[in-house]
Amino acid sequence: MKMKLAGGAALGLATVLVLSSCGSGGGDDQGSGDGQVTLKMVAADYGDGPGKPNSGETFWKGVVDEFQAANPTIKVDVQVINWNDIDNQVATMIQNGQVPDILQTGDYSGFVKDGLLHKADEVLSPNVSGDMLEKFAEFGKVDGTQYGIPFVSSARALFYNKDLFDKAGIKEPPKTWDDLKAAAGKLKEAGVTQPFGLPLGQEEAQAESFLWMLGNGGGYKDDSGKWAIDSPQNVETFTYMKGLVEAGLTTPNPGTKDRKTVWEDFGAGKVGMVNGGPMSIPIFDAAGLKNYGVVPIPGRTGPLDTTLGVMDWIMAFNKNGHAAEIKKFFDFFYTGSAAQKISDTYKLLPVTNGGIEKLSGDEKLKPFLDALPNASFYPFQDPKWATVNPAIKQTIGGAVKDGPAKVLGELQKTAEAAG
Amino acid sequence: MRRLRALEPLAWVGPAVLLIAVVVLWPVIEMIRSSFLKISRFGVVQGGNGLANYEKLFGEKDFADIMVRSVIWVVAVVVLTVLISLALAQLFNQHFPLRKIARWALIAPWAASVLMTAIIFKWMLDPEVGVINQLRMKLGLIDAMGGAAADQLGDASTAMPWLVFVAVFVSVPFTTYALLAGLATIPSDVYEAARMDGAGRLRTYWSITLPLLRPALTVAALINVMNVFNSFPIIWAMTHGQPGYSTATSTIFMFILKGSDIGESAAMSVVNFGMVIVLTVIFLKVSRWNKEVT
Repeated sequence: MKMKLAGGAALGLATVLVLSSCGSGGGDDQGSGDGQVTLKMVAADYGDGPGKPNSGETFWKGVVDEFQAANPTIKVDVQVINWNDIDNQVATMIQNGQVPDILQTGDYSGFVKDGLLHKADEVLSPNVSGDMLEKFAEFGKVDGTQYGIPFVSSARALFYNKDLFDKAGIKEPPKTWDDLKAAAGKLKEAGVTQPFGLPLGQEEAQAESFLWMLGNGGGYKDDSGKWAIDSPQNVETFTYMKGLVEAGLTTPNPGTKDRKTVWEDFGAGKVGMVNGGPMSIPIFDAAGLKNYGVVPIPGRTGPLDTTLGVMDWIMAFNKNGHAAEIKKFFDFFYTGSAAQKISDTYKLLPVTNGGIEKLSGDEKLKPFLDALPNASFYPFQDPKWATVNPAIKQTIGGAVKDGPAKVLGELQKTAEAAG
Repeated sequence: MRRLRALEPLAWVGPAVLLIAVVVLWPVIEMIRSSFLKISRFGVVQGGNGLANYEKLFGEKDFADIMVRSVIWVVAVVVLTVLISLALAQLFNQHFPLRKIARWALIAPWAASVLMTAIIFKWMLDPEVGVINQLRMKLGLIDAMGGAAADQLGDASTAMPWLVFVAVFVSVPFTTYALLAGLATIPSDVYEAARMDGAGRLRTYWSITLPLLRPALTVAALINVMNVFNSFPIIWAMTHGQPGYSTATSTIFMFILKGSDIGESAAMSVVNFGMVIVLTVIFLKVSRWNKEVT
């Protein structure tokens, strides 16, 4: 009897040992001898989350099933993670040595310095890379070598609610900041609670801020490539925005509002104007808003001739030595129906000439497609952007509350110190 | 055979000890180790970093405010929770019609996920559609929906009390039940004796109920101190620590730092860990000191 019990305890001990070893390992199963290779992929979720018809899981399952049917020796294991968590989770994976083969997310530059990535030409066929928009591919380069492969893109424009504009008696959409201020004033008089939607909260404060900076010839960096977050133009810009906030013409307490909330409010008819992109269209559709217009974003003296372009990236890690298989998958993705399907499902803009041509008939997407070639981008090729960006998200909203010079000055200090 | 028998206890405690070593000790060691490493935002370990992570952390402009706020947050939430729970436990210890249902109802906030509760409150406080704001408008407390007056989570001075309220709301059920269990262990003849000696209600509560309740009270408060100090979902779901860092506690700050500097974030974790230990030791000292007096 005693022996039996001891045996049971030993079994329990063994179980614990086995369980604890489950956490590590994995990652690099180099095939089981019969030529079978498993590619581990991590991707961001462009949909509304697990269980929704447009979830990333559903999208990638469709792509992978088709790919595996055509390439029976390659298995692709996709893990979809939402945008809020993907950076942290990928960082944890890498810190623990569980490097994926393929990563699709918003940034690639930080992996280059440590030599973790395949060069683009090692994992892309010439006919695929040749079809990519040149300006986009250019942004995938670090020191002249391309590592980041453009995945999808988007651009921004001003959406305005035509019904509310009629109600407030506004003839045409604003072209300048002063137009915008005047229109917002009329909207407020007509009882609109948020005349201008201003999301400067944690979700995407860096985008809204950048659009306003561009309107005054500013930006995160100056023309010589030096950080210029607290440049006189930017301080002037935020002082103007602060005036709008204090007059009650914007979303209240912009520094705490996420873009999704403000877009939903726009869809619900509570917001007169808001900066948005193609990806906000499904949100407005879901809320039932039909009668809206899209125009270029107003600047200080006239509409912007540029806009914020955002590119997301796909990249291949070199740790597991699967370049040939990754190449097959990438070629399949860009030349097959998958890249097209992602644009259709999520209203994201393609990154290839072929893709843009196919979409040019879509009326709703036209303003954004037109804006793409002259878009401005975040300084994400600077490795410091990875440190500055979270600080901007958390604190830049304070610039329209506590004082522009002080808050932008702090961010400038962060940018100059980061390393 | 005898030797084997001598080893038997080891086989029994072994798995538990191993489990603690793997899921408790090992992560703590990893955390402390990480706090001395230079780790990029992308998770690449770039070698040792000495004390630089700590220097950077202590040099953060908002660090001191955040630490002070964390202590205020813990004290406010735990004190309010304990006071309310003492009253509720006393109430639920009485016999009244439908007591069973009332006791069940008290479990609801505890059974619901904290994150869910926080998100529900965030929506109830939404400046455009929140039910709390609609109520305030009907009561004439605010003039219109959508404005700054209706946006209580947008400003630290009004957001903080709401965060504390939600934290108390989710902590009260457990604390009440712990105290209720404590009340049940007090024998009724003690109360009878007190009545015979002519002690009033207040006197009875102060000299009999509270001292006899102390073990339950100590455990309940201590668990709350640790829980509240490490509480993440309420603040994260409702304000993200914004505006700026003005509603962030050290746990929230640790998570935000993880997005830019993992080493510094690990340093924050170590400081946090130290704080919990210090708070716990202080707390235990204080309650033991009470014991010697009575």
